[in-house]
Amino acid sequence: MTSLAQLFFDAASLGGIYAMAALGIALIFGVMNLVNFAHGEYIAFCVFALIVPSTEAVAVMFLGKAPAFLLIPVLLGLGAGAAVASEYVVFRHMRKATPVAMMISSFALGFVIQNALLAVYGGRPKAISLWPDLNTPVGVLGAQVPLLQLIVVLTTLLVVCALALLLKKTRLGLEMRAAAENFTMARLLGVRANVVITGAFALSGALAAAVALIMATQTGVADVRMGGQIMLVAFIATVIGGLGSLPGAVAAGFLIGGASVLLQAFLPLEVRPFRDAFLYTLVIACLLLRPQGLFAASSAKPRI
Amino acid sequence: MMSKLGVFDVSVRYGKVPALTDVTLHLEEGERVFISGPNGAGKSSLLGAISGAVATTHGRIEMDGHLLTGRAPEAIARLGLSMVPEGREIFGSLTVSENLRVGTGLRRDRGAVEGDIEEIFEAFPILGERRHASAGALSGGQQQMLAIGRALMTNPKLMMVDEPSLGLAPKIVDQVYDTLVQLQEERGLTLLIVEQSSTRAARVGGRMILLRGGSVVGDGDAAAFAEKDLLSEAYFGQSKAQPKKEAAQ
Amino acid sequence: MMGKHAQNRILAYSTPLVLIGILLVFVAAITLTGDKALGRMAAETLIRVVLVVGLWIFVGNSGVVSFGHAGYMAIGAYCSAWLTLKPQMKSLFLPDLPSWLAQAEWPVLPAAVASGLLAAFVALVSGATILRLSGIAASIATFAFLAIVNTVYSNWEGVTGATSSLVGLARYVDQWVALGWAAAAIIAANLYANSASGLALRATREDEAAASASGINMYRHRLLSLVVSGFFTGVSGALLGHSIGVLNPDSFYLGITFISLAMLVVGGIGSLSGAVVGVLSLSMMIEALVRFEQGISIGETQLALPSGAQEILIGIVMILVLILRPSGLMAGKELRMPRFAPRSPDYKTSNN
Repeated sequence: MTSLAQLFFDAASLGGIYAMAALGIALIFGVMNLVNFAHGEYIAFCVFALIVPSTEAVAVMFLGKAPAFLLIPVLLGLGAGAAVASEYVVFRHMRKATPVAMMISSFALGFVIQNALLAVYGGRPKAISLWPDLNTPVGVLGAQVPLLQLIVVLTTLLVVCALALLLKKTRLGLEMRAAAENFTMARLLGVRANVVITGAFALSGALAAAVALIMATQTGVADVRMGGQIMLVAFIATVIGGLGSLPGAVAAGFLIGGASVLLQAFLPLEVRPFRDAFLYTLVIACLLLRPQGLFAASSAKPRI
Repeated sequence: MMSKLGVFDVSVRYGKVPALTDVTLHLEEGERVFISGPNGAGKSSLLGAISGAVATTHGRIEMDGHLLTGRAPEAIARLGLSMVPEGREIFGSLTVSENLRVGTGLRRDRGAVEGDIEEIFEAFPILGERRHASAGALSGGQQQMLAIGRALMTNPKLMMVDEPSLGLAPKIVDQVYDTLVQLQEERGLTLLIVEQSSTRAARVGGRMILLRGGSVVGDGDAAAFAEKDLLSEAYFGQSKAQPKKEAAQ
Repeated sequence: MMGKHAQNRILAYSTPLVLIGILLVFVAAITLTGDKALGRMAAETLIRVVLVVGLWIFVGNSGVVSFGHAGYMAIGAYCSAWLTLKPQMKSLFLPDLPSWLAQAEWPVLPAAVASGLLAAFVALVSGATILRLSGIAASIATFAFLAIVNTVYSNWEGVTGATSSLVGLARYVDQWVALGWAAAAIIAANLYANSASGLALRATREDEAAASASGINMYRHRLLSLVVSGFFTGVSGALLGHSIGVLNPDSFYLGITFISLAMLVVGGIGSLSGAVVGVLSLSMMIEALVRFEQGISIGETQLALPSGAQEILIGIVMILVLILRPSGLMAGKELRMPRFAPRSPDYKTSNN
């Protein structure tokens, strides 16, 4: 029998992952109206960067061997680098394109990254062991919670607070918020478009790397398909949260994590494999009730 | 002598629709110039072309000897041009004081920023009172003041103001113009203002350039235009500066 | 003026003839080579024509990008399998089918039509909800729909065989059968695009706000186009199943979504000809890449591309097209019969 506290930690840690992934997507959408389908592949890319390139089933740690104080900044930098590079190579040339064209090209970019990973690492999921000690359970409020879940919840809170501070207190944050609301006006005031966009991509990529670290530790698997799954949920979270709204993305991420854990716990056994179908149906229902998102930003209203 | 701003043979098109055709005009240092003309005359396109927000199809624009054409808006802003756009376009989700700070990233004298913000609050006390309020909650007149303050915070040499009187009560418009004139005298600014009403322009004082159908059709003292408009209004029952739409085609 | 206008209307209907003619020449030329592998490639290409033309009926007319069409395809493919598989195979592999379905042994053509109808029905139901959204929210909801279909079909063990492949489908679809369906899809797409509904919908594509202000009921037209689109997409699924003989839910997921969107974008979303040209050009590229992946020998050296290179290159081509030629190869133009009368050089719309 799963206790309430157990459920809470399951929901919070899963929601935390979704929230961070959704934040990465919402940041970019806010600044340049790009629905970045490649975001999930940044996550997958970071997971695979932990291991030695080979098509063998058992993974040999590569970056993953480094001590945490080295590994974390290097991987965050790598994620940021991948995102910035993709902006430089693809999206920079599409500044005047329609949002739909940018969305499709990000879909293509994601597909390219995924297949590049497939070509280098092979299609079979690989077992990886990153910080296995973190999965030892600790007792919290009468529940046996893996230490990692606590860390995930704390990390999410930390990341969200750090991001909020960065947006609120730094020059780049101010410029990003202004650009998200009205890019042309911001540029007329001397805000450099390239700096803001590069900054948004770097932050987004670093968030993807943080998600990658957590997922790799938690699931112990590196799978080429993992990017696609998390991306879909993260997208839905961004849309439900109100496209472009950062607090909305975080709240919706936790909401979906919670709904997912609750469905898993309380759905009858025979329909449990269909959990995701129920989840996505809920999502469509949510969108129908509030197409502008549950927590729509005031600036995200369609201009008519 | 080199003028402050030089616009040479500039044309702008939106698709196949011409908005400006071979416009040439000059502004001298410290001058106050009004741009007037009916709707669709190309006033906002002209400001857009100068600020870099709208691409030109022909001609060149220079400020202080720097070529502006082909530069990004942010690069033009860094050369000392600032803009109060039509409809204000303040950042509604940012606070009043954050709005004022957005444009200070291009300044080298970062230390002077705080003092300048206080100066803006002195000029517009209501903004000072509401400095931590979200800018979207301000009234139209307050937003206009914020947009002017925000443009001033970039420390511009040339400031362009698009229809400051739009949607504001006459009393507030007076106040906005008083502040603009005062600031211009204090800072030695060059001002380019879009203003529909020649009477209003004449009262503030300055040169006036009349645009119609995307071309310059008149250039002279605002007072002279105001007199002519008053006369034609008396004879034909309509102001020349605001002819009917059919006449503009 | 009126004469030219009427002639333009007639010329608009010549597009399907030109397109079908091109496909006919393509199939005939490949059949003449007698190469079995090339024949299979031709069949696969024409099935993609059915799919992408089906997708175009919705995306091209409404301007809403759908990521959910692979779901309609899966629905069609499995429906045809349920109707045509031998009863003893079904009792073995799909024990949970209702008995009337388990006993069914339909001929292939009615089964294909039924598959299309089922997909169209699902399109009606799913579209009735999803299309209440607009723009990017609608696109993401179509993605959620795809995920729902995939989850259901990957887990419904007794009805779909879940992730273990369903085998034994009659492989009756050769290039000629596929050509017949491709022609039907092209004609239907052209008729729809030139119908009152299609024209109204394309008017909304550019500017939703203006169109709704002019009183066009976008929702109903979008729904209608999705239903027609769903029908042909479902049929393309059935054809694919009966061409390779094996079904797996994952063959109707992100991979095919990507390929079909790539073909549509490369050819140009703005026109029916773009959809067909996109399929033909990318299919030929895929075929060339597949041969490269198998390896070709130039002189002494054996050259081979790593597997996955195909998808990577298609993705790169797609991005390049989006950057360099955003409206695709056809740039919104239709292939038409040449005009009968010489074009007058000063012809303009009456606007004096």
